[in-house]
Amino acid sequence: MRVQLVSTWHVPLSRRPLIAGGCALALCVVFPATARSDARASATTTVFREAGGPLDMTVITPSVNLSGDAGQAVTIRAGWEADIVSGASVRVVDNPSSEVDAITSATKLDDLRNTATGGVTLRSDLASLDLDYSYGHESDYRSHSFRIGGRAELFERNTGLDLAYARGFDRVCNLAQPRAQEAVDRQAMPTSSGCFDSDERESLDLSIQTFQGGWTQAWAPVFTTQTTVTVQLLDGYQGNPYRAVWLGRSAAQENHPNNRARYAAGLGTRLWIKPLAGALQTFGRLYRDTWDIQSLTAELAYEQRLGGSVRLRARARYYTQTGAAFFSDDYVRFPRGQFFTGDRELSPMSSWTFGGRAEWTPAPGDDGKIGFLRGLRLVGKFDVLIYSFDDFHYGQAAVPNDSAFVATLSLESTF
Amino acid sequence: MVSQFFSKFILIVCCVWGTACVTVRPEDKELLADPSMTFGADGKTAAHDEHVFNNREGSFGAGGVTGGGCGCN
Repeated sequence: MRVQLVSTWHVPLSRRPLIAGGCALALCVVFPATARSDARASATTTVFREAGGPLDMTVITPSVNLSGDAGQAVTIRAGWEADIVSGASVRVVDNPSSEVDAITSATKLDDLRNTATGGVTLRSDLASLDLDYSYGHESDYRSHSFRIGGRAELFERNTGLDLAYARGFDRVCNLAQPRAQEAVDRQAMPTSSGCFDSDERESLDLSIQTFQGGWTQAWAPVFTTQTTVTVQLLDGYQGNPYRAVWLGRSAAQENHPNNRARYAAGLGTRLWIKPLAGALQTFGRLYRDTWDIQSLTAELAYEQRLGGSVRLRARARYYTQTGAAFFSDDYVRFPRGQFFTGDRELSPMSSWTFGGRAEWTPAPGDDGKIGFLRGLRLVGKFDVLIYSFDDFHYGQAAVPNDSAFVATLSLESTF
Repeated sequence: MVSQFFSKFILIVCCVWGTACVTVRPEDKELLADPSMTFGADGKTAAHDEHVFNNREGSFGAGGVTGGGCGCN
């Protein structure tokens, strides 16, 4: 659910819903009596559900965001997001102990990730600068991330150029195994118990640097494009400490390379269809990385305005990728050198996504308001994902959880 | 290698500067200002979308930036 609340300051709080009052109070603390204080609040929740056979995964992602303008040139924002994860996953991929169905080794998992964010935007008439920080906390993971991004409008605002750099300092919990000299000797971590405070656990660093550039161009009154390029450099532990892979005589914790460079380029287009009063939207992306994964993403969508307050959008998305150079469906018969993985997302795969989105933005009254709000937007969204993992098996069994749905509800308001 | 990089860089800069010839007058930007024509207008729902795909696919990035280049931000 995504909720954005907006209201004017002079309406008595007692007449407002509790959430609006809370938001207003928080923003009053941040923006006391500025000459022009536009404040926005939003709440969004996404439910991801993937199920099939003994494997399942449910992720509920609620988030709340607040922002306010301190005058014309400064916007301050804060937010919170969580991932509430529950499900069942395979601990030892290709374990021969369950001859009939390797998936019977599936074990339950629960996790909670909290992320707090804060940032400021400084803007002039033709340029803006964003500074952001986020802190992520899980029982087995910590992250600090800083981001700086700038945007400039050129040529009568027909061209927009974006540049951004983000730096992440992450720490991953793992099982301390000082006697394990080789990767094949390492055992998977059984639980996150003791992470970051016990001698039985160790903390491994992961450094993430992301560079992004964007070029947005208005070509005609009905046609605009956006080109985006992203480079990401990762250095550190990138495996799943809980997952092991059967190597023949024993199972060992999966072992991924410590370095990875990822390159992606995307092109989005928007074309207004005048007879229909709607927009045709396309997106394509090419990706490759130093683990030898190459991927293609293609998306086609159409958005239609109905009356003055309702918008409907339908989309279809196709994704396909090659496998990582060190991926094997059976490391006993087809080993791939020093690295091994049980991650199905590193295997050759493809997926289809079909979905729709509905948005309701009620028209303001004669006084320019909707009740005590200056703006309100309610968004509902639903997608179905269908995966294909032709080259990934749990023993002899195909991936059973090969479909999922994603539902999002969001409410935004301005006050 | 370095000369190749700089030649590509100069080509990109020329392409971007070449767009100065493309002019959509402010009074013709009504349709470009529509949310369905603006990149990143989905806001938080798009961010949640990307969060799901990043965790379910082996690739990452180039998902787009906000803003429409329409002078309406």
